[in-house]
Amino acid sequence: MRLFMHNMRGMSVFPVLLTVAAAAGLFLLPNFVESTYALHIMILIFISVIMGTGWNILGGYTGQYSVGHAAYFGIGAYTTLILMQYHHIAPWYGAWVGVVVAVAIALVVGSICFRLRGPYFTLASIAVAEIFRATALNLRLTNGAEGILITDIPPFKIGNTVITDFMSKVPFYYMGLVTLIIAIIVTRMVQNSKLGYYFQAIREDQDAAHSLGINPTAYKNAALAISVVFTSLAGSLYALYVGFIDPSTVLALDLSVHIVMICIIGGIGTIWGPAIGAVILVPFSEALRSNMIAQALIDSGLISENSRIGSFLKDQLSHAHVLIYGILLVIVILYMPDGILGFARKLLTKRRKETI
Amino acid sequence: MAILEIKNVSKFFGGLAANSNVSFEMTQGMIMGLIGPNGAGKTTLFNCITGFYPPSQGDILFDGHRMNGLKPDAVCKLGMARTWQKVRPLTKMNVVDNVMVGALCRTNSLHVAREIAMEKIKVVGLGSRVKSLAGSLPIGERKKLEVARVLATQPKLLLLDEVMGGLNPAESEEIIRLILDIKEIGITQMVIEHDMKAIMRISDKIVVLNSGEKLAEGNPQEIVSNKAVVDAYLGGE
Repeated sequence: MRLFMHNMRGMSVFPVLLTVAAAAGLFLLPNFVESTYALHIMILIFISVIMGTGWNILGGYTGQYSVGHAAYFGIGAYTTLILMQYHHIAPWYGAWVGVVVAVAIALVVGSICFRLRGPYFTLASIAVAEIFRATALNLRLTNGAEGILITDIPPFKIGNTVITDFMSKVPFYYMGLVTLIIAIIVTRMVQNSKLGYYFQAIREDQDAAHSLGINPTAYKNAALAISVVFTSLAGSLYALYVGFIDPSTVLALDLSVHIVMICIIGGIGTIWGPAIGAVILVPFSEALRSNMIAQALIDSGLISENSRIGSFLKDQLSHAHVLIYGILLVIVILYMPDGILGFARKLLTKRRKETI
Repeated sequence: MAILEIKNVSKFFGGLAANSNVSFEMTQGMIMGLIGPNGAGKTTLFNCITGFYPPSQGDILFDGHRMNGLKPDAVCKLGMARTWQKVRPLTKMNVVDNVMVGALCRTNSLHVAREIAMEKIKVVGLGSRVKSLAGSLPIGERKKLEVARVLATQPKLLLLDEVMGGLNPAESEEIIRLILDIKEIGITQMVIEHDMKAIMRISDKIVVLNSGEKLAEGNPQEIVSNKAVVDAYLGGE
């Protein structure tokens, strides 16, 4: 028994060391990786982790399933680019203006929509995001359906020293990594605080929480605000990295669904769930889109290129990523309702029980 | 001194009067039984008192505060806490975390909250279940968890809605003892209960509701010998 207790305590040091080592590895990675494509995928993963981690505070911990988070992603993206392009405000200030604007709008939306519960809230969140998409499509400020294409990003200077000129992918990689780490640290802090207990109480039973002295609307708004900070930052980062935004990419329902999918597949209401979800989903959908999977199947000799199935896959699989997303989601919900992380944990505790 | 005064409280749902003109007082430290046939308006009255429904008419005074229009969270902060007829455990959280949510009503420190929670868990006798998920508890323990959670909010007045409902006689006996222990600490309690033997044993005063109206009020002996009450329960001529 004594030994067991010791082991238990040893276990809690191990993940911390592992996390620090992983973070250090990620910081050093660009020194070893030459491939810009690999960096590109990493940056896309980071952006997804940041927005998934943000959504997770509201959806995972507080139980408010917003399927309209693209609105805040888009507000971050548009604010940063509009300020940079038309008002010559550097994006590292613009991104924070974006955060302030997104949070302010989110609180107005929240105080209206949080009167609704469960699926009704979800529907309202979709409607709100669609309002923003339609607005961006028709405003001159956002340049309508043409979107905004940035010409160049001013170099990032401290004093007179140029830190970076954004010519390569590396600065975006580090911006993503740092934001991601902050998002995960914030999630950890929330989980180990009164806020985290109150968020989860609201998720489990709003009326019970209310009767225990918790103001549900106030705490839901707090969760939304924290959530939107990271969603908006992810939007700004995406806009700067890709250099082009329009309503059908940064304000789309697809994007809102993608954010939720990352969390559901990884594991809702856990610190690492969104990260795991993004690491699986982003490369997977990239591979589908770029026809890598069909090509791999053909190259491996499993399917002949000239067979009907082979040519069908080669022609059609890249268009089918939404369909495959859907199938994946159904499988996860049916067989791993707590996501991949929850499923792995269940396996681990089962095995631990068996060994004892 | 009256800790709770209900003055002519009515609650209408459309044309239906779930409570009409109910008045009574509770003094510090007493246990009051609230009884009545199904649909008499007991739970509605609980909901009015604890802020889940605003009363349509009348006043509710608690500890010198006028409660009308206060939300449940504010009511809880003033020192009034309720349990639910249909238990509401926070199922994916463990027992100590459930009770900590109650304790956090008075403190911002998780450490302090955990200490308060552990103490209340012991009071209700769930000491061996601290790490169990609330959703995995059987009904008897869920009822105890509800009581521990409201005790952790450090209330002056507790409203218990059928804490013995669905329990076997041994478990009911434990709850009865728990209610009497809570009285010893000096917490005033209002108890809704269908088990007449239990309610007669623990109550200092009983209020009987029928069709939303107060039918009778008195000590247990007066209530059992009250003809109107007997008629309401057994059916008059």
